[in-house]
Amino acid sequence: MKKWMSTIVVGVILVGLLSGCGSSSGNTGKSSEGTGKETNKPVELTFWGDWGGEGQKQFETMVNAFNESQDKIRVKYVLQQDMITKFLTASTSGGSPDIMFWDRWRTSLYAPKNVLHPIDEYLDRDGISRSDYYDEALKELSYKDKLYGLPLTVDARALFYNKTMFKEAGLEAPTNWAELEQAAAKLTKWNGNKLEVAGLSLGDPGLFSMYVQQAGGKMLNDAGDATAFNSEAGKEVLGLWGRLLNEHKAYKLGFEQGLGEGQDAFVTGKLAMNFTGPWMLSTYKKYGKDLDFGIVPPPAGPNGDKASVMGGFGLVIAEGSKHKEEAWEFVKWWLANKDNVLLWSKTSLNIPGFKPALEDPFFKDDPSWKPFLDTLEFAKIRPQHPGYSVMEVDGLIPNLQLFLEGKQDADTTLKKSADQGDRLLKDNNLLK
Amino acid sequence: MFRSRNLHGHQARMAYLFITPTLLLFGIFTVIPVFMAFYLSFTNYDVLSRMDWVGFSNYKKLVGDSLLWQTFLNVFYYTIVFVPLNILLSLLIALLLNRASRAVKLFRTLNYLPTLTSAVAAATVWIWVLHPEYGLLNGFLGYFGVTGPAWLSETSTAMLSIIMVTLWQSLGSNMIIYLAGLQGVPDYLYESSKLDGANAFHRFRYITWPQLRPTTFLVSTMSIIGALQLFDQAFVLTQGGPANATKTPVYLIYQQGFNQLDMGYASAQAFVLALCILAFSLINMKLSRAEEPIV
Repeated sequence: MKKWMSTIVVGVILVGLLSGCGSSSGNTGKSSEGTGKETNKPVELTFWGDWGGEGQKQFETMVNAFNESQDKIRVKYVLQQDMITKFLTASTSGGSPDIMFWDRWRTSLYAPKNVLHPIDEYLDRDGISRSDYYDEALKELSYKDKLYGLPLTVDARALFYNKTMFKEAGLEAPTNWAELEQAAAKLTKWNGNKLEVAGLSLGDPGLFSMYVQQAGGKMLNDAGDATAFNSEAGKEVLGLWGRLLNEHKAYKLGFEQGLGEGQDAFVTGKLAMNFTGPWMLSTYKKYGKDLDFGIVPPPAGPNGDKASVMGGFGLVIAEGSKHKEEAWEFVKWWLANKDNVLLWSKTSLNIPGFKPALEDPFFKDDPSWKPFLDTLEFAKIRPQHPGYSVMEVDGLIPNLQLFLEGKQDADTTLKKSADQGDRLLKDNNLLK
Repeated sequence: MFRSRNLHGHQARMAYLFITPTLLLFGIFTVIPVFMAFYLSFTNYDVLSRMDWVGFSNYKKLVGDSLLWQTFLNVFYYTIVFVPLNILLSLLIALLLNRASRAVKLFRTLNYLPTLTSAVAAATVWIWVLHPEYGLLNGFLGYFGVTGPAWLSETSTAMLSIIMVTLWQSLGSNMIIYLAGLQGVPDYLYESSKLDGANAFHRFRYITWPQLRPTTFLVSTMSIIGALQLFDQAFVLTQGGPANATKTPVYLIYQQGFNQLDMGYASAQAFVLALCILAFSLINMKLSRAEEPIV
């Protein structure tokens, strides 16, 4: 009797397992056939992105508008929290998305692996002019003379300053480092050993790359394979940071850590100046009812060099897509048409990479865009080396943190950063 | 005798049957990947385009990777401070709460609560507590005229802060395990030792502690494994900073594999980490062997 029972249990489990596998594989087989064969039905495209919440709604607005504009292609936005990891497995096992929301700096790592589809042919065929887009953004989406996507957003950091504090202190918005340093020193307020108002945020050592270019330096050499910041320009930056921290005591380490939107130091008047990007505009406008702030392009360095780092996103087509033509139709509709680009900008409050849209009153009439648009004129992208971000995060920033903590002098900091950075660049180069 | 053997055989069959699904999953998702990772550690696998045999070059690269060794030192330091404190404090709490009364249930719950919160959410709240100017901790220290450090932004205190947060979160579950262990210590041992004139300390030293040996072994092994694999709290609290002081091997392995697509090298790193965990566990086994139980 009991033997019977166990046999039955085994049988049930086995059948369950097998049928589970069987039915799922059967389903996928059918669906992939279905899209190919039935021609009267619209082609279904999958659009992956890692923006949820508000961002997801903004994407869906665009997707719905596209779906309503024609009846041949149906796009569906799929939120993938861990998009890059998912994309890795999907690229090797099939099930690749058609279109992807793409953090542009990743291009130099992924394009050489042939998982992104070059779009040069489409661009030429459809007569889309490259000069309509920011050069730097296109450069960031390119690898070896091939273009892998179109820019969706562009951003760059500018200097946000608290107008009320500036007025009280009788100061004008800084245009160069000397004025920046003076203003930071003057606006800082201490109460005993408590910092009440920080003059300028030094919370993000990652901004070194912006400062070093303002000082006339570069992050990587001309060949793009080794660091170049152990230079006079690098010393200028650390000199400025050192003076701000130690002489003027304009900042305290950890001051802004963990402060959420509502408690943001700039919103609550605990910070007079901050380098940040257009993505903070909506927060500052929402929370800062009593906050009167201005924005200016980043102050010029000692020799008058202007610099900021351009970042942003693009849309790319996956090499694994079975409907590249249709995917291109969607990308073109969204990013090469002034009306649709404007719809996207107004929905998401982002600066688009498509320049003709910037002529619209939406951007012309609102003064908060101008400083960013001016900054974008001279902003440069990060160097295109697949190991660049590792070099910054693991080689440069840890040493800068030691410097800011006062545990390492400027020369040692630059020397060690350069040594470790060069090694990381070499280790993470594709051609090894 | 025949009957009992038959029964035994039947029980064994049923037992195997019941563990089959788990073992199957364990085999597919753990054992096979381990062998695959071992193979991959000798290749230049990048997930997308290549998987060529490169011999020992990944392991040779490991030797000169100073950042990797620093992350190992970080977690060794963490493990050496965290594991003993974890055992000591959770045993202490368990001893305090090992009695039958209504209030005890409340305290047990309160001690267990931190374990229930997600690591990331708890770490986010702790960032607030540890804020240098507005944090609870420095505010409290301020009453005594002490200017607290910027806990998470200074190289000297960042790891201590992480130890504090992870301890707070792991004490609860270890307390439960110790409580179960304490319930299993037979009363007659205490009674007879009392008759022989043993005081409270003696009873703990010669009865409770040796009797809890298997429990301590479980708790210490689990916390060693967990400690060497430290990742999420460290990542949320400090992002590995300042100055790499809280960067951990798991963070590097993840970055190497999934961000830099250098899966081969990441596998080699993972194997070194696995060997370290094995070594620490063996040392731990030796240490707890030294204390033989009396029953």
